[in-house]
Amino acid sequence: MRHSIAMTVNGRRTVLDVEPHRTLLEVLRDRLDLLGTREGCGVGECGACTVLLNGRAVVSCLVLAVSADGAEITTIEGLAKEGRLDPIRTGAIQCGFCTPGMIMAAKGASVLEGNLCRCTGYAKIHEAIAQSASPPAGRETTSA
Amino acid sequence: MRPFDYVEPRSVDEAVALLSRGGERTRLLAGGTDLIPRLRRRQWRIDRLIGLRRIDGLRDLTLEDGVLAIGAGVTLEELAASTTVSDVCPLLAEAARLMASPQVRALATIGGNLCHASPAADLAPPLLCLNATLRAIGPSGGRDIPIGEFFTGPGRSALRDGELLVQVRVPAVEGRGVYLKFSPRRAMDLAVVGVACFRSHGVATVAVGAAAPTPLRVPASPDEAAARCSPIDDLRASAEYRREMVRVLTRRALEIVP
Amino acid sequence: MTLIGQRIPKLDAADKATGRSRYIQDLRLPGLLEARVLRSTVPHGRIVSVDVSRAREAPGVFAVLASQDIPPKRYGYAKDTTALKGDRVRRIGDEIAAVAAVDADAAAEALDLIRFEIEPLPAVFDPERTLDPGAPLVHEDRGSNLVRTHDYAHGRVEEGFARAAHVVEGTFRLPAQAHGCLGPAGAVAEWDARGRLTLHDPTQIPFLIQRDLADTLGIPPSDLRIIQPTIAGGFGARLDLYPHEIISALLARAAGRPVRLAMDREEDFATDPVRPRTVVRMRTAAAADGALLAREADVIVDCGAYVSWGAVTPIVMMHTMGSFYRVPHVKYRARTVYTNTAPTGAFRGFGNPEITFAIESQMDELAARIGIDPVEMRLRNANQPGEVTPQGSRITSCGMKECLEAVRERMPPPGTRPPGGRPLLRAAGENLVASATQTETESPSSPAICPAGRIEGTEPARSPLRRGIGVAAVFHVGGGARIYRSDGCGAMVKIDDFGKATVVVGATDIGQGMETVAAQMAAEELGVPLEAVRIAPADTDVRPWDVGVHASRTTFIAGNAVRAAAKDAKRQIEAARTALGLPPDTPYDKVVRSEHFRDQGSLVIGRAYFDPPNAMVDAENKGNVSAAYVFGAHAAEVEVDVETGQVRVLRVVAAHDVGRAINPMYVEGQIEGGVMQGIGYALLEEVILREGGMSNPNFLDYRMPGPQDMPSIETVIVETNDPSGPFGAKGIGEPPLVPVAAAIANAVANATGVRLRELPMTPERVWRALRAWADVEAPGEICGKE
Ligand SMILES: Cc1cc2nc3c(=O)[nH]c(=O)nc-3n(C[C@H](O)[C@H](O)[C@H](O)COP(=O)(O)OP(=O)(O)OC[C@H]3O[C@@H](n4cnc5c(N)ncnc54)[C@H](O)[C@@H]3O)c2cc1C
Ligand code: FES
Ligand code: FES
Repeated sequence: MRHSIAMTVNGRRTVLDVEPHRTLLEVLRDRLDLLGTREGCGVGECGACTVLLNGRAVVSCLVLAVSADGAEITTIEGLAKEGRLDPIRTGAIQCGFCTPGMIMAAKGASVLEGNLCRCTGYAKIHEAIAQSASPPAGRETTSA
Repeated sequence: MRPFDYVEPRSVDEAVALLSRGGERTRLLAGGTDLIPRLRRRQWRIDRLIGLRRIDGLRDLTLEDGVLAIGAGVTLEELAASTTVSDVCPLLAEAARLMASPQVRALATIGGNLCHASPAADLAPPLLCLNATLRAIGPSGGRDIPIGEFFTGPGRSALRDGELLVQVRVPAVEGRGVYLKFSPRRAMDLAVVGVACFRSHGVATVAVGAAAPTPLRVPASPDEAAARCSPIDDLRASAEYRREMVRVLTRRALEIVP
Repeated sequence: MTLIGQRIPKLDAADKATGRSRYIQDLRLPGLLEARVLRSTVPHGRIVSVDVSRAREAPGVFAVLASQDIPPKRYGYAKDTTALKGDRVRRIGDEIAAVAAVDADAAAEALDLIRFEIEPLPAVFDPERTLDPGAPLVHEDRGSNLVRTHDYAHGRVEEGFARAAHVVEGTFRLPAQAHGCLGPAGAVAEWDARGRLTLHDPTQIPFLIQRDLADTLGIPPSDLRIIQPTIAGGFGARLDLYPHEIISALLARAAGRPVRLAMDREEDFATDPVRPRTVVRMRTAAAADGALLAREADVIVDCGAYVSWGAVTPIVMMHTMGSFYRVPHVKYRARTVYTNTAPTGAFRGFGNPEITFAIESQMDELAARIGIDPVEMRLRNANQPGEVTPQGSRITSCGMKECLEAVRERMPPPGTRPPGGRPLLRAAGENLVASATQTETESPSSPAICPAGRIEGTEPARSPLRRGIGVAAVFHVGGGARIYRSDGCGAMVKIDDFGKATVVVGATDIGQGMETVAAQMAAEELGVPLEAVRIAPADTDVRPWDVGVHASRTTFIAGNAVRAAAKDAKRQIEAARTALGLPPDTPYDKVVRSEHFRDQGSLVIGRAYFDPPNAMVDAENKGNVSAAYVFGAHAAEVEVDVETGQVRVLRVVAAHDVGRAINPMYVEGQIEGGVMQGIGYALLEEVILREGGMSNPNFLDYRMPGPQDMPSIETVIVETNDPSGPFGAKGIGEPPLVPVAAAIANAVANATGVRLRELPMTPERVWRALRAWADVEAPGEICGKE
């Protein structure tokens, strides 16, 4: 049986019918075409699917879409509009698969623990996060 | 995942009714961090999930009459961040902080961690040391289960059919505690062995995780603790090594909370 | 020069940071079906029957294939397998049947409806037992589990050992390491009405796939077009033709619709072409003054059930055996063997981390025997610029000495920290444990508890923590590696009417930054800003030939090709200016437009093909396979908890000779990433097999280092300006991973006196080694017993 749910996704009110066994990750990707949220494992262990749910970073692969009814969701596409993308400057991006999840975690989690990156060795990611927390004065950091 | 049905009751009674009517293939959903991976891996077949998030009171966290009452739906993040928890039993907050990752802690609940009844559940050893009581509500009413009687085997608890865990009650006792979680990675790892120690008025209590079919209270002596546990060989470590780590970590824990 | 050596962000960084890059999972096509594969759950068996009839009737299903439905075409190096298995399965995970359906769930449900019967056969899993008489045969028709033997020798090894003052000997066991690319494997296939196949595939070898897959499907290679989406990590995992690529094409043909076969994480792990389990028996001899005399190794490499790149790693090991340090007498034999496990493949370093672990462990053991500083020991035997090794490697630029000196300077012994020039490590024979605990005086004095229960700040005498430092060096190819007859890459540079340049280059960007480096080089050569250069899409219909991204060859080879093509374009511009009588400073756009708007005008398209001056090995396995070689040295500082066996890496200094850093930011990125994967290999990562199948196929049980597991890494870039490298550059992709495990093992030995010869050095393994050592009463010796 499908359930009707209403969420605010990246500031836009979104109403849709979902089957209870669909995860928030699946709905974001397959129904809303928000492909920046990625599946690296599907079971909470890599962080690539991190989104903000009511302001908190969560792994969207472990959230049933039905249980996000009423929630406010922000994905990388929502953040991109804000235009603060410091990983660009620091070389924190290699293959880039982990990058949106990293950025979302930096935004909504207390510490970076749950995001795997197989390319960078993390040094430049930590650096990028530190920089985006305190952008250099007088410089607009966006290029997107 | 295979399809299933989903309901969100508004009260504990409603949840209990749904649960007892549902039979074996009905399950409760709290944070989903244990359940969803199992469903995704098709380890369990279910017909219906009962979502607990809308039930009033399950997320309450209060200190009254010397008892810290933690709703089963309180998340690990809330446990780790709560000043009440940090004041009354920092041991528990510390254990919560060592679990999973922030993105999982924001979802995972204390109730789910205990009811999943993994031998390695990180909240269990501290709660065993702190003598917590688990309040359950079922078709025939409520009851309090001492945590020492709660775990009955890997993945098995003393909850009866139709019963729901609603609250974890921790007596506020003066003392010092520590939880030593031993794992190869510094975060995002399950315990190879976990040892909690709490010393109050000179008396130390020790409990271990991942060292027996259930989390277990053990004597407050390194050698006796090692002798009492009954670990297994698995992917993460051999039984022999686990036993030895119980000895080492118990000694360290006792040294840390003199 | 203006753009060379600049820290320029990746051209696609903004797309990646905003989630706009499209990986294979993100592709959307009308009518796209999703596929799933039925896999064997037994390691070896005879397929008695496969009945797919019920699956074909299932809702949402468009195509179901079993082996009888596809051409029985064998493929692979040894032509020893088919995409769907017909008579035999030879490992857990072998492909038996496949379904394409409207979505992945429908496909999975249909898989459950396939009835099959497999009669189990005895299987063999241990590469060290698979050649035993009577061991079950993985491929019965071959009569043996031996895939191939590689032999190599120079000098007279027995003579070398006979003259030695010191000989060390040991057996080193290396685990299977999985790539763990964050994006799982997958491919999307679509056929057009004329029978032409387009395969969207994040492969590292588009032009080889074009040939091999077409052959397997029985179509002309020109009817196959490969488009690479953004690639979510490679590291060697995408270096061959794999069953999922063939199956997606077959299903799409059968279904008459585009099909995606995307794996989930567990499947990605279970089918990953892992770094092979390898056993190295090695002995090394040195003279009393530390000069190496002889080195001998007998190696066994696990090929898995079918031959892929894992079986080629002995060749890379062979080059390191023959050319790393100056060793007059070398003998090497490697046997690659079948087992009933997943086919092994290429993984960054490609055999070199395995053999280097043994070589560099023994360098420390010898240094200890002789009583000299380990860095000194290495310097005494270091490769030199201009040297031609007995194996035939022509070393052009060589910064090995500089790298060793750089790490010595930056990582002095704990507690001393002199301004440089002092020995890096304590000499052997000192009481290692006591001197290591001295460093504890540096610890904070109030006790602090870490997650693992480490206790910091307790009195030195009682602390279970021991610190030590270890060093290891690396020798690797850095100017291509001729393992095919071609080691070439083509490039074109088109200047358009607006003065912009499009670079069309065969090489593949797997995140390392190839496209940006190519753009930098083209812009530099053309004298235009970076913004005036773009890279043509990764499409075999458009891009010219390239062998593929492997062997750290891309910057060197594609770089040379791009540079030459840009030069050619510039030459054409200049020629056009002269011919048209335009002043020499006429901008590009004007020159090109003048060409386009005149009678008999012409295009400005520079082109070049670069195939490096290297050679395939001869019958004796000798030859100069690379046009340049790279060198590096790492030092690692570790802290070992001797009661739990937990090893923590506190600090790594990694110095690499890269010829010239075209973009230092990417060089650092390669070094840091390589060190991370090396730390995983050294301490955490191991594919654990049960009945030959991976029993830890997830990120909780297969532990890759996370953001909290990395030490501080100090990178040192040594520039030697290689004469044949583009702007002096050499490769850097693989080398940073190579010496890490050896440096850490040497540091553990330095800290505790116990040498580990098996990876990963998990807490339990270290604990067992420490305990075994404590049981024998000879603590004066630096290395533990075998
Ligand atoms: C990546 C990752 C890392 C993890 N790391 C750790 C770790 O370090 N340590 C650790 O201990 N665990 C870890 N876990 C496991 C898990 O996160 C915890 O056990 C968590 O606390 C479970 O809570 P939940 O609310 O998500 O449970 P759910 O998955 O919702 O439920 C778990 C089980 O308990 C039942 N249940 C839930 N609530 C109740 C209730 N009120 N009454 C009766 N039954 C109930 C459910 O029906 C289900 O069977 C990890 C999980 C993941 C995915
Ligand atoms: S996909 Fe959700 S954590 Fe990996
Ligand atoms: S950049 Fe590739 S996984 Fe992080």
